[in-house]
Amino acid sequence: MSDITRQTLFSATAIVKNFGGVQALRGVDFDVIPGEIHALLGQNGAGKSTLVKILNGVHPAGSHTGTIQLDGQSVSFASPADARSSGVGYVPQEIEVLEQLSVAENVFAGRTGLGAGMLVYQRKLEQRAGEIFADLGIDINPRAYVASLTSAQRHLVMIARAIVMKPRVLMLDEPTASLSGTEVDALFSVLRRLKAQGVAMIYITHRLPEVLAICDRATVLRDGQVAVRIAREDFDAETFIFSMSGQRLQRLFPEHAAPVGTPTALDVRHLTVAGHSGAVHGANDISLSVAAGEIVGLAGLLGSGRSEILHGIYGRVPAEGAIRVNGQSVAVRSPADARAAGIALLTEDRKRDGLLFNLPVGANITIGNLAPLSRHGMVRGWLERSSILAAMRALNVKASSPQAAVTHLSGGNQQKLLFARVLMRAPKVLLLDEPTKGVDAATRHEIYRLVVELAEKGVALLIVASELEELIGLCDRCLVVADGRIVDEFNRGEGGEDRVLRSVTSAQAERHAMAAQASS
Amino acid sequence: MNSAAEVSSPPRDAQSFRRRLIGFIAVGEVGVLAAMALLVAFFWLLEPAFLSERNIRAILNVVSFVGIIAIGQTILLVAGEFDLSVGSVAGLSAVVAGKLMTAAALPVTAAILGGIGVGALIGLLNGLIVVRLGIPAFIQTLGMLFIGQGLIQVVTGGYPVYPLPDAINDIGGTDLVFGLGWSFAFFIIAAIIADFVLRRTVLGRNMYATGGNKEVAHLVGINTNAYKIGAFITVGALSAIAGMFVMADLGSGGTSIGSGWELTVIAGVVVGGVSLFGGAGTVAGGVVGILLLKIVQSGLVVIGVNSNWQQIAVGVIMVMAVGLDIVRRRYFIAGA
Ligand SMILES: Nc1ncnc2c1ncn2[C@@H]1O[C@H](COP(=O)(O)OP(=O)(O)OP(=O)(O)O)[C@@H](O)[C@H]1O
Ligand SMILES: [Mg+2]
Repeated sequence: MSDITRQTLFSATAIVKNFGGVQALRGVDFDVIPGEIHALLGQNGAGKSTLVKILNGVHPAGSHTGTIQLDGQSVSFASPADARSSGVGYVPQEIEVLEQLSVAENVFAGRTGLGAGMLVYQRKLEQRAGEIFADLGIDINPRAYVASLTSAQRHLVMIARAIVMKPRVLMLDEPTASLSGTEVDALFSVLRRLKAQGVAMIYITHRLPEVLAICDRATVLRDGQVAVRIAREDFDAETFIFSMSGQRLQRLFPEHAAPVGTPTALDVRHLTVAGHSGAVHGANDISLSVAAGEIVGLAGLLGSGRSEILHGIYGRVPAEGAIRVNGQSVAVRSPADARAAGIALLTEDRKRDGLLFNLPVGANITIGNLAPLSRHGMVRGWLERSSILAAMRALNVKASSPQAAVTHLSGGNQQKLLFARVLMRAPKVLLLDEPTKGVDAATRHEIYRLVVELAEKGVALLIVASELEELIGLCDRCLVVADGRIVDEFNRGEGGEDRVLRSVTSAQAERHAMAAQASS
Repeated sequence: MNSAAEVSSPPRDAQSFRRRLIGFIAVGEVGVLAAMALLVAFFWLLEPAFLSERNIRAILNVVSFVGIIAIGQTILLVAGEFDLSVGSVAGLSAVVAGKLMTAAALPVTAAILGGIGVGALIGLLNGLIVVRLGIPAFIQTLGMLFIGQGLIQVVTGGYPVYPLPDAINDIGGTDLVFGLGWSFAFFIIAAIIADFVLRRTVLGRNMYATGGNKEVAHLVGINTNAYKIGAFITVGALSAIAGMFVMADLGSGGTSIGSGWELTVIAGVVVGGVSLFGGAGTVAGGVVGILLLKIVQSGLVVIGVNSNWQQIAVGVIMVMAVGLDIVRRRYFIAGA
């Protein structure tokens, strides 16, 4: 261990950060050495993002105490640009992209030296971006506008943006939260290569198998302090969870038996949704049904059309086809229609499609659910407040009060807030798009329990999740989606991750064969 | 962990006090009220006549006209849009109502309803074009500003509508309390109702959601288009009412009624903490902002400052207010 301290590349000592009355970090020490991937773990609100934001100058020098050293030299970053020019790269937890620019322009945003003087060589940018994507094993057109990408694809653009800087230190705040297996694998191979090149990496995640797969050391934060540091030899998911939460989990997925003989709650026939701009498949003649009390998963790769199916059912995008809820045919032309029919949707991108930053935590939970909390159109203050408090307690939303600003919540708590919003609606059919995105292990467990509880109450659930293990563990039945079609279907116990991947691959091979036939 | 427990334990240390203080000031109205008190004291010290009964009445009288429009503009800004045609609409509605009760010899009530109808119709048109055709409110309502001015000339031929029926002059001449008349009464009542609606009703909450993030509002089932169009109609109708009150006050349907009000109104409500970016602000704040602006204008006149400087002062105050708005937004929205 003594040689580790000698080689330390980037370190923080005794970092203390307060947000008004909230102590986010209370004296944290942290360091990385070249060629190391150092996991930063902890429950939602433990202070992980805050620490990397300090190391990256998002929270500028002076807004906290403690020292930061790079290469043995004291540094103080006034801004992320400052950190970047010292070779510190950063992929933030929340999506930050320039929607009106192309993918290539986003990847090289803030970079200079790619053209002659003020001129930028567009072609060169696009070519370079294309190379990076090929490296990452992803299929995004560098010329596409970011506005047309899914949130997972936006995330990959941010990762590419950090990697092109050729950083010496790379900090990734939940980079895989919206990625699925294959994309994660591609990212890992890039990270391994960076590691071989001696880049020091800080890796934040709530997906513990990833830590086992790729990290060399782990530091667990708890309530703004380092709870424990764990060397690779001692890695073990159960230890992680225990040191993060102080709890031992009995079983990861709660037991749930598929309902027998319950009526069909959601029935979708020939649903077709247009895709957009080549990056994302639409839904192509999808028929599916979910029984009351059943948990059905949609598995597939990024851009396969999974989310589009949910959006089509919910009336978010124009769709053709027939939808029945509890046997009643419903015309869903807008989300309002879907809600009136008892359908609720939890969207994937909290910042863009979920949170209302102009309203406090409480109003964010009740928005759209005010009818039962009001009389003659007037909101009944005490009733609203008590139902907000009940909802926050039920989901363990960590916020100083219902009046708190949403921005001040940690990512996982924002997710729980949105969950509280859809549940307040008491839906008959619940569509969940990445329900555990950015949620810590213990809370994830709570959400699984909640999902099963809802199913037991007769709610029909249709879930999209990128983490296959989660989807397969949770769902009674899985539908595999590829290129906007359902290509396979299996019940609990009839298949695992390998089956999903096999169906996807064979569907793609078939498509290529057909395309080849058509062109010959 | 338990949110209820955290809620009930108030933070005590000095830092959190400071934080709460900042939060308190960040709430539009309080900061503006404090600034207003300072300004009043300042002008009064320089020129005691500033607080003369006559001057106070004059300020309140002007505020009652533009204030009625400010109520509508606040609602529209909260819904995420804004309207530059309010002054033209006020003028046009006034002269149309004037013509209806004189040239067309309609009963006064019918003529007034006609005037309100003109305002509401223009609001509807603005709303439909902005929402359905996706033309930015800036362009659409700027266009409507010119259209309205042109129509005023068309309707009047360039001459004020005069004389008006006695009933109208009576409305303008009534002294309810402290020399203030019906327009002030209407202004106060409308402001209280609108403030209540935004603060306490489902309609108001949905309005904030619409202005805060249209997509999110849509996804939770709010008909955002209807809210935006409704807000445009409200501004139009309130502008019409304000224009007709001015006509009653003047006893004549002048062709310059409402000209230049659009910027005063927007400057005023923004000073009062209503966000130009949508989804934030209150009617109370907007109204207090207008009052502050008028106090500055009047104070500068009373202490004898050249009128060019008055305009400069209004400009400076508005830029400062927008700056404050941006800082306030950063306080709430940054660091996500
Ligand atoms: N800008 C802010 N203003 C006030 N409080 C904040 C702010 N940012 C974070 N906090 C608070 O600091 C604490 C740590 O937050 P942080 O975002 O670092 O958590 P995290 O470990 O990244 O959690 P997650 O896993 O949910 O992303 C939380 O209690 C949070 O509410
Ligand atoms: Mg975080």
